[in-house]
Amino acid sequence: MERTHRLELFPDRSVTLLLFQHVKNAAALRKKAMEGSIDGALINPAMIVDPFQILVAANKAVHLQKIGKMKTRTLYAEIIFSLSPSNNISDAFKKFGVSDSDTAVLIVLVVEGDKTVNLADIASQVEGQQVSLDELPQLTDTAKVKKMYKVTPQEEKIGTLLDSVVCRMSTKDVL
Amino acid sequence: MRGLLLSPGRDALLFQSAPAAELALGLSQSVFDRRGSPQEGLLGAPGHSKGWITRIPAPVVYFVDYVTNSIYLEDIVDSITVQDHIYSVQKSGNDTSGLHKLAEKMGELLARMHDEDIIHGDLTTANLLLRPPMEKLDLVLIDFGLSFISGLPEDKGVDLYVLEKAFISTHPDTETMFQALLKAYAATSKKSGPVIKKLDEVRLRGRKRSMIG
Repeated sequence: MERTHRLELFPDRSVTLLLFQHVKNAAALRKKAMEGSIDGALINPAMIVDPFQILVAANKAVHLQKIGKMKTRTLYAEIIFSLSPSNNISDAFKKFGVSDSDTAVLIVLVVEGDKTVNLADIASQVEGQQVSLDELPQLTDTAKVKKMYKVTPQEEKIGTLLDSVVCRMSTKDVL
Repeated sequence: MRGLLLSPGRDALLFQSAPAAELALGLSQSVFDRRGSPQEGLLGAPGHSKGWITRIPAPVVYFVDYVTNSIYLEDIVDSITVQDHIYSVQKSGNDTSGLHKLAEKMGELLARMHDEDIIHGDLTTANLLLRPPMEKLDLVLIDFGLSFISGLPEDKGVDLYVLEKAFISTHPDTETMFQALLKAYAATSKKSGPVIKKLDEVRLRGRKRSMIG
């Protein structure tokens, strides 16, 4: 049900995504993530169009971590920040992180080398139903995403929403 | 250039260039973000809306690495350049009406690009790709390394002149094609009048130079 990708540019890292619906303890989860007892990025799936969007963010975050140029303090915070089209860190957390009232959560884990992660352990902390990443499109709030990334109707004729989103993510620190 | 798989189904091309920031800037300016200087943004420079985002068909930027000056761009798989397409159509002796339609699409695309005040800087038929399936005439602009922002008809005229010369030198018997391109350009862009005028002037300048040698 979960999905794991190796980062092609950083083969010593792999990214695992877990998606949960009907979540009842988002507030507790958020606290755990902030305290570090869940070692992962907790993301609001409504803002995610496609798992590739997460991979682009993770790729950038890992790159910046490796060269010591992260804007935030942890890799997982950096992933959330990289998703945002703006350079305001707290805004990124507000919009892309999980909030207390959310009922769906996307958990992103980045694992080094051959380290194993106890996925069952993480899943057991979520009071909700783990579902396949195939369900993600159902959870995406397309209107919210378009507003957040300022996607114009003109652009929609030229490329996919994912294209527009990725472009803004990857070039936001240019100018 | 190297092909790289960023994720199943998403091929990327790696461009190594210095500096990546400028190229990414060129791409980001060309591809989606046109903001003037802060002063312009506040006052609203004539003809420019404040802080609006636009987009013309170009490869998606996946990742910019400022350390190695590399840019990872979408690899438009199974695309062919307009250059190769024209070659193969002319070689097969087939349908030149298709080329006429292609020229119109090119004219429309360039008009939209110039209306955004984006100057490509290196317009050739090798810098225009056709996404499959070819019949859709789905065009993508690539290689924005020399691109810049300008509202000047002169810059737009020169942009078109570069393409015209590229046509003449690369594709024999395509005068009517380029004419169709210009016609579609003029029909699509409301600012085309002065641009075509400048194009004529630039053509004249070019001719004079080659006359004198």
